[in-house]
Amino acid sequence: MRMIRFENVCKTYKGDVQALREVSLDIAKGEFVFLVGPSGSGKSTFLKLLLRDEVATAGSVLVAGRDIGRLGAWKVPALRRNIGCVFQDYKLLTNKTVYENVAFALEVIGRPKHIIRTQVPQILDLVGLTKKSDNFPTELSGGEQQRVSIARAFVNRPLILLADEPTGNLDPATTVGIMRLLDRINRTGTTVVMATHDQRIVDAMRRRVMELDHGSLVRDQVRGVYGVGS
Amino acid sequence: MSRLAYFTRETLISLRRNLLMTFAGVMTVSVSLFLFGGILLVSRVVDHGTSKWKHGVELEIFMQVKASRRQIDLVKASLEADTHGGADATVKSYRFFTKEDALKEFKKLFQDEPVLVEATTADALPTSYRVVPRRPELTTTIQKEFEHVPGVKAVNTAAKQVKTLLTATRWIRLAFFLMAGVLLASSLFLIVNTIRLATFARRREIEVMKLVGASNWFVRVPFMAEGLVQGAIGAGFAFGLVYLLKWIITNLLKSRHNGSASLFQPFYASSHDVFVIGSWVLLIGAVIGVAGSMIGLRKFLEA
Repeated sequence: MRMIRFENVCKTYKGDVQALREVSLDIAKGEFVFLVGPSGSGKSTFLKLLLRDEVATAGSVLVAGRDIGRLGAWKVPALRRNIGCVFQDYKLLTNKTVYENVAFALEVIGRPKHIIRTQVPQILDLVGLTKKSDNFPTELSGGEQQRVSIARAFVNRPLILLADEPTGNLDPATTVGIMRLLDRINRTGTTVVMATHDQRIVDAMRRRVMELDHGSLVRDQVRGVYGVGS
Repeated sequence: MSRLAYFTRETLISLRRNLLMTFAGVMTVSVSLFLFGGILLVSRVVDHGTSKWKHGVELEIFMQVKASRRQIDLVKASLEADTHGGADATVKSYRFFTKEDALKEFKKLFQDEPVLVEATTADALPTSYRVVPRRPELTTTIQKEFEHVPGVKAVNTAAKQVKTLLTATRWIRLAFFLMAGVLLASSLFLIVNTIRLATFARRREIEVMKLVGASNWFVRVPFMAEGLVQGAIGAGFAFGLVYLLKWIITNLLKSRHNGSASLFQPFYASSHDVFVIGSWVLLIGAVIGVAGSMIGLRKFLEA
């Protein structure tokens, strides 16, 4: 089953900046995909289009068979409930505890209390932070903060998990832990798309690699490595 | 239920965070709405006192309470003759007020004094004619014609002061409405600003909410409630002040016309007036609050 499909997608920003040029690709349900390329190659735009933060200038972006460019503004929240998102800077709320940060994601989409009470401890157990659930983000290491962020993105069991440089701020040892976690989430059937600069992870994981360069898809390789020439 | 708790909590937190701005917003709303409500109340008082002089009515011919049917009919015949006098006609139109009509008006006038209303019957009140002259200058001519007719107790004319009062209130009302309008606009801007600050203070939360798929309304409601609370509290204060004004006016009018003289004091403000004006004040306050927060939110919630 096809989860994500790009059909000749172009994205041009104001001032004729071409962030994506004629990108076409398919990502199946349950795939793990690395999105690589230098800064400014279009990785972030790619993720923003999937979140409907931006709309393609030409072509169409399909998620679970639906053209999300045609989605009315009021349907965007429903799309985002199916897409979890993790960032390099975690985006945790510093005035809330670990538990509250994760619960917040369910609270604001109107989930009932009893669901929140069972789901949040479960997911904190999955990411291995049960003992830290009453700590504030500032009391955690970078790796732990990223785990909280992943827990928040995954607590609603989305179909897709997007990760934008999730290990960008982490040391190699911590990075391995985060990658294991993402791999585990992928094994539950969740499609994972991860944008990264980190050559070692890509080479070690041996998953599908899509490389963007100046907005064009220059490589799409099953079980690839970071750079062909490197 | 948990959703309601969430909204309440978020609204209160945000109100407290911007206490000073909230205070400024509430104060301007209440001052402007008090100006608005206050002048409406004063206008009502003037309206009550001058209502019978509306639509060109210049004279009131009061019959004796015990005037006979014949006497009443004779006055009517004379008025009729004056109406159809061709070029010499002095009366444009007239209306007969029966004892029952008089009682109705009396009840309206003294609705705040039920004891008095209870004790009064139609029988005790005089019948009267309200007369619209062809031209205002003819008022004295008509007055002289009927003053000494048998059965007529008195002919009242609209005093010059009443007319001055009517013109004056028209201008004062306009001036106050303008002032109230300007102040309302500034209170709107203050609320817009408070909401902008509130969204800025919580931009990370809003970002996360949008990211995890909270609906736009879910993001908006706490801020709208914040604006609504500001507008409503301001309006509540204004309501209180208008009520206080009513109390002052009532006492002022009472002390000026002591005892029985106050019975025929037509200038008054009723609780009903305060209620109607108060409802408008509350409605406008709420609308200002919600409108302010909608404008304040617009920029932040785009995309």
